[in-house]
Amino acid sequence: MSDLLADDPEWADVVPIAQYENVNPIAPIFYSVEYKDATDYFRGVVKTGEMSSRVLKLTEKIIRMNPAHYTAWQHRYKTLIALKLDLEEELRLMDDIALQFMKTYQVWHHRRLLLTALNSVDVAVLELDFLRDVLAEDAKNYHTWSYRQWLLAHFNSEARLWARERAYAEELLAADVRNNSAWHHRFFVVFSSGVRLGDEDREQVLRRELAYAKEKIALAPNNPSAWNYLRGVLEFTKTPFGALKSFVEPYTADKPPSRGEEVVDLDNPLPTPDAELPCVAALEFLADIYEKQGGDAIEKAVEIWKTLGNERDVIRKKYWEYRIRDATPNS
Amino acid sequence: MVDIYSPTPTDGYTTATSTLQTATENLIKTHIPPAGTSQVELQKRYHFEFLLRNLRQGFPERYVSQDASQPWLIYWTLHGFSLLGAGLDDLTKKRTIDTLLALQHPDGGFSGGPGQAAHLLPTYASVCAFAIVGRPGEGGGWDSIDRKKMYDFFMSLKQPDGSFLVSHHGEVDVRGIYCLLAVATLLNLLTPELLAGVPDFLTTCQTYEGGFGNASFPGWAFSTGTAAYDPTAPRPPLGEAHGGYTFCATASWVLLQSYIDLYYASRDQNSASLPKRPTINTRALLRWCTQMQGLPIELGGFRGRTNKLVDGCYSWWVGGCVVLAETLLGVGAHHESPTEETSGEGEEHKGWDDADDALFNRQALQEYILCAGQHSAGGLRDKPPKPADAYHTLYCTAGLSAAQHRVLPSEARRSALISAWDAEEARAKDGTGSAAASDADRERRDALRAQTCAHVLSWSEEDGTAVYVGGAANRVNATHPLLNLTVTHSDGLMAYFYGQTLPSRYPAGARTKR
Repeated sequence: MSDLLADDPEWADVVPIAQYENVNPIAPIFYSVEYKDATDYFRGVVKTGEMSSRVLKLTEKIIRMNPAHYTAWQHRYKTLIALKLDLEEELRLMDDIALQFMKTYQVWHHRRLLLTALNSVDVAVLELDFLRDVLAEDAKNYHTWSYRQWLLAHFNSEARLWARERAYAEELLAADVRNNSAWHHRFFVVFSSGVRLGDEDREQVLRRELAYAKEKIALAPNNPSAWNYLRGVLEFTKTPFGALKSFVEPYTADKPPSRGEEVVDLDNPLPTPDAELPCVAALEFLADIYEKQGGDAIEKAVEIWKTLGNERDVIRKKYWEYRIRDATPNS
Repeated sequence: MVDIYSPTPTDGYTTATSTLQTATENLIKTHIPPAGTSQVELQKRYHFEFLLRNLRQGFPERYVSQDASQPWLIYWTLHGFSLLGAGLDDLTKKRTIDTLLALQHPDGGFSGGPGQAAHLLPTYASVCAFAIVGRPGEGGGWDSIDRKKMYDFFMSLKQPDGSFLVSHHGEVDVRGIYCLLAVATLLNLLTPELLAGVPDFLTTCQTYEGGFGNASFPGWAFSTGTAAYDPTAPRPPLGEAHGGYTFCATASWVLLQSYIDLYYASRDQNSASLPKRPTINTRALLRWCTQMQGLPIELGGFRGRTNKLVDGCYSWWVGGCVVLAETLLGVGAHHESPTEETSGEGEEHKGWDDADDALFNRQALQEYILCAGQHSAGGLRDKPPKPADAYHTLYCTAGLSAAQHRVLPSEARRSALISAWDAEEARAKDGTGSAAASDADRERRDALRAQTCAHVLSWSEEDGTAVYVGGAANRVNATHPLLNLTVTHSDGLMAYFYGQTLPSRYPAGARTKR
C-alpha cells in the first residue's frame, strides 16, 4: 500500500513540481521516495496557493520528515488562519512534534505564532506547564528557554505568569546548580524585565539575590554560572565589587577553612569543606576589586593575574597578560 | 604545583552538568598526543575528499534535515575547499551558479531550496557561494542577482525596533541581522533606512554574561498602536549568551561602526539632532569570549555557553570572535610604521613580543581541532567520537584558520582605499534604487558606502604573525574575520559591486616589519 501522493487519487488534480528543472544541481541530497513525493506536491500547492485540509496534512507529513522546512511551517500557519481552524487543537497536535524535535527553531516559532494569534493568558499558562515538560527532558534547550522568556514578556501577567518563575528557576538550580540557562532565566525574571510584583523594594531584592548567589557559590565554588550571575547583579545595580571582598577572600585561599574555625556568618557563607580551592573565579574577582581600587592596589591585581596566567588558569594566559597591560599603561 | 591537565573541579558536589563534563573530559583527554603536538598532521587530503564526495556524489539521506539549507551545504563545501587551498573546475562552477540561481526567489532574496520562501540565512550562504564561484558577465552569476528586489525583500522584513524577521512570518534573530548586513555590505545595498535602529537593537541582545543572546523583546518599548518609542521601557534579551549569536552580533556591530560614526552623535558630543550613540560592553564581551575556551584537559577547544560542552564549531564562532572584540577595544590592529596614525595608544614603537598576540590561546585551539576535531575517515566534527559533517568541517577549518592567522584591520590599507575611492562610481552601482533627499544626505550616504567598504576591505594578515601547530604543512588559507570568505573572494565581489579598482594589497617595497 503506497503512501505516496502520486498514487493517491485524492491528489490527482495537483501538478507536482520537481525541485530542479533544467538544472543539474551541485551537491544534491539523496531524498527518500516519500520526501521527494511530498515536497514535489508541496511545491505544486504553493504554486496554486491552495490552503485546504489536505494541504494541512501534507505540511504535517513534511514537517515530521524535516522539521526545519520553514516554508512548510509558514504555509501551515497561513492555512490554519485561512481556514479559521482551532489553534488550541493545533497546539496540542504539535506537542509531540515539539518534544521530538525540540532542537529545531521552527517548532518553537510556530507555537509563538499560535500563542500570539490566540492572545489568551489561559493558554499561556498551559503553555508554561508544557514547557516545563520539555525542559524536564533537556534543561538547557536554547529555543525553549528563549520562547519561555518571550511568552512571559509578551503576556506580562504578574499574577498568572511571572509569579512562579523565580521559584521555577530555583527548582532547576536545586536540581543542577550549574544550569546556566536557569541562572540566565532568574536574571531575566528579577532584573531584565522590569520589576516583579512584590519586588518593589530594590534594596531588598539586591540583598536577596546576592545572598542567593553567595549561597550557591559556597555550595560549589568552581561554578562560572554562579559567579557570572553575581557579577551581573553587581554591575546591573552598580554595586561596587569591593562590597563583597570579605565574602570572596576565603575562596582565594589554598583550602577551605577547617571545621573547628568556622564562624557562621550568614552574609559571607564559607566554602563547603569539599571545595577545591583556590577558585579561579574568586581570584579573578579579587583582582577586579584591586583594579577598581586603583593606586597601590593595582600591584596586588597584577600579582593575581600573574598567578592566574602562570599557574591557575594557564589556558587564558594571554587574556591575563592583557589585563596586566591594560591596568598598567605606563609600564 | 598545579597539574596542567587537571579536570574541571567539582567541589564534591556533582550535578548532571558536572557528570557530563567529566565524562567528556575523560574522552577528549585520550586524544592528547603523548609525544606532544609538534608532529600532528592536518589530513588535508582526507578532508578534501570528504568535501569532494559531497559535492560530486551528493549528500546522504540523513541530510534531508538540511533540505531548507541547500545554499549552506554549497557554501560550507566551497569555502571549505577555499580554505584547504583547492580550486574548482569551470564545469563545477557553472553547475554551482545554475544551482544557486534556482534558489533566487522571484520577489527577492534567496531561499533554502527552489520553491521555498526567501530567507536571510540562505541569502548570505548563496551570496558567499557566488563570491567563490561567480564572476561578472554572461554566465557568471553575479549580474543575475536581483539586488533591487533583494533590498526590497530586506525592507519588507524590517521591524519597528530595528531588527529584521528572517523571512515572512519568521523569527527575529541576530543571525539574520548578521546575514543581512554581510550581504548588504558585499552587494552595495547599505542605506540609512536599512540600518536604522539596528545598532540599538543589537545592544539589547547583550546579556549580563557579556556574550549575546538570539534576540530581545521589543513589546514594551515599541507598543503597537502607539506612535512613540519609550526609551525607558526594558527590552530584555531573550536567551542566554551563546557563541553563534555572539559572533553574529559582534560581527554586525563591527560592520555598523561607520554607520554609527555618521548617523549618531560622537562620544563627546551633545547633539539635539543626532541620536545618542549606542554602546555595548566590549570588556565584558572579551571576557566572555575568552572564558569560553576550554581547559587543557579539553584540549583548549571552545564551548558555546557557560557550563556546556566544547564543540569544534565554536572554534570559529567564539575563537573567531576574539579578534573582533580586540579591534573594538582598540588592541587589535596592524603595527604600521610610526608615521601612520594609530589608535593613539602609543604602540608605534613596540617590537614583536607577546603583547601583539591574540588574546585567546591559538596554540591550544589548533591542538583541539587537529587532535580531537579530525575524523579519521575524513572531515571534521564537534568532538570525538561524533561523525564528521559538512557544517563542522567548515567551521573547524575556519577556526583553525583563525588560530593560525592574525587577520586585522590595517590603517595603511584603509587609507589607501579611501584615497583611491571613486564615490560617483560607488553611487552609480548602488543596488537599492534609493535617492538622496539633499546634497548633505547624498554626501552622508556616499560616506557610509566608502567608509564601510574601506574598513571591511582593510582587513589583512599581518606579516610574520602566523603560527602553525604541527608545522607549515598544516597551513590553511586565511579567512576574513567578518565575512568568513577569503580576502580574494571578498575583494573580488566588492570591487565589482562598488565599481572600484582596488589598490594592490602588495605594493612593491611596502611590507610591514617581520
